[in-house]
Amino acid sequence: METINAGLERELRDYVARPDEHARLRGIFERASPLMQEIAHHLIYGRKAEVDRLTRQALDEDYSPNVILDDGLIAGMAVVGIKFRDNLIFVPEVLIAARAMKAGLAHVEPILSASGIEPSGTVIMGTVKGDLHDIGKNLCIMMLRGAGFIVHDLGVDTKPEQFIEAVQRHQAPVVGMSALLTTTMPNMGRTIKAFEAAGLRSAIRFMVGGAAVTREFAAEIDADGYGKDAIACVELAKELTARSRRKL
Amino acid sequence: MALDSRPQRFIIIGENIHATRIVLRKGNRVKVLDDGTEGVRFRDTAGKTRYLAVPPRFRETQAFQQGQIKHVMIAVQKGISSDSAEQEEGTEYLRAEARRQIEAGASFLDLNVDEVSTRLDVQQAAMRWLVGTIQEISPIPLSIDSSNTEILAEGLRTCDCCAGRPMINSATLERIETLDLARKFDAEIIATGAGRAGMPENTEQRVANVEELVGQARARGIALADIHVDPLVFPISVDSNHGRHYLDAVRTVRQTYGPEIHLTGGLSNVSFGIPNRKLVNETFIALAIDAGIDGAIMDPVQNRIDAVRSIDRTSEPYQLAAAMLLGEDEFCMNYLMAFRKGRLGS
Repeated sequence: METINAGLERELRDYVARPDEHARLRGIFERASPLMQEIAHHLIYGRKAEVDRLTRQALDEDYSPNVILDDGLIAGMAVVGIKFRDNLIFVPEVLIAARAMKAGLAHVEPILSASGIEPSGTVIMGTVKGDLHDIGKNLCIMMLRGAGFIVHDLGVDTKPEQFIEAVQRHQAPVVGMSALLTTTMPNMGRTIKAFEAAGLRSAIRFMVGGAAVTREFAAEIDADGYGKDAIACVELAKELTARSRRKL
Repeated sequence: MALDSRPQRFIIIGENIHATRIVLRKGNRVKVLDDGTEGVRFRDTAGKTRYLAVPPRFRETQAFQQGQIKHVMIAVQKGISSDSAEQEEGTEYLRAEARRQIEAGASFLDLNVDEVSTRLDVQQAAMRWLVGTIQEISPIPLSIDSSNTEILAEGLRTCDCCAGRPMINSATLERIETLDLARKFDAEIIATGAGRAGMPENTEQRVANVEELVGQARARGIALADIHVDPLVFPISVDSNHGRHYLDAVRTVRQTYGPEIHLTGGLSNVSFGIPNRKLVNETFIALAIDAGIDGAIMDPVQNRIDAVRSIDRTSEPYQLAAAMLLGEDEFCMNYLMAFRKGRLGS
């Protein structure tokens, strides 16, 4: 395949300015079949009905679920992430795209799990002790599930021992902690310390985020990564999952 | 019109002296100074134009590299430093921020230093310093704002209350001890709709939480007229029902308690994640006044209450924003389409 459909060509031209990202996505779209390109394009605009229908059609045409995931759904979501980062689209539009992604995944996932293919990874998510805010955390969870992660949501006001218990029960290698308040942020560090005390720190990768959290704060409490929004959270979860798999 | 039949004063709790506040590096208040550093413009007490210089350590921070200057945080840190020139610069800068809000009609000045440090002793020292610095020049009372009760207590202890009784921002069911602070320091309170174990998910939970908290406040002898209820505003970008949840709770609380209780809210939260926030904020303030608020925690410099009162409700931008805020525009699609076509005005 050498041609990219007009819609995606426009997306690349108008919205994907960074040369490395432009080249990478162009490569993916050139490799992708017209049907996959169509799925990616509809996904960018959050057209749930079309993504739903075309994903079903692709499976009926014997596309492998991995190809649908990589060349259609994830490729489309990559464009959404870039546009959001660059302030070209806004939160509601990311949510519509996530909803369309979910519709596509609903067809693909059962086949992936039946064939023994692993999900993107397993993540434990929670707002830390003393903090009741969950809007940002819930956005992250929505995006993570959209990207094929299994997410166990511990809700708000999550104590360190609840994080530890969940990690052990679900065998999850990645923990995401959220805090909105400056006064509850230190509980992220305390949770990591509790994992240390339990002898579990080295097996787990911690990612942190929330309104007042910064890269500098994440480094200070010895977290493994910081994400500034839900899109960054997904990238980080992928990276930390890969790191923990290399280690095993 | 409803707006004109309610002549009582509108209680603006000016929210600009908050350590999270940013100005954009490319915005018109920021200038590159002679030594190559960046500075944020302000007018000092003598009327002279000056610049709050961004210290080198801030240039390494992520916020700065993403194009944002945490100007209030910088000014507070300068204020509590040991360098007397920096102290003077921080003091003058924050007093200028205070004056701008006072001139714009604020009734209280909200002070929040939570983000200045993650250490409680530093946060308390910052609150002490900030309260002392602002109350010396302010003809209006302060609103002491923190998510930590000990920081609230520190601020209240420092208040001389010369300009009036202070406000506590805020009391919630999960921090019921803040009501005792209100008694001890004879303060007014903002009472929020947060629950004991989580944020409210709808109108009913907001109302139930508020009623329980108001009951607890009255049981401690706090007068209705000293309670400012904030049912909590969440972003419309995340859920198209978020505007209604707040507005309907305001209506119900007003009906239940009558004219004496105050109703307020952090209204600009509603516009998080969508463009042209000024339009959305002003439209939401107008809708909330209809519903029964008599005050807001807001930026009085950006959003002028007189402009809100005279907003043209027949204009297309107003109607698009109002439809979105009333839950009639799923995923804000019509609003965002109009924004892209340039139909929302400036």
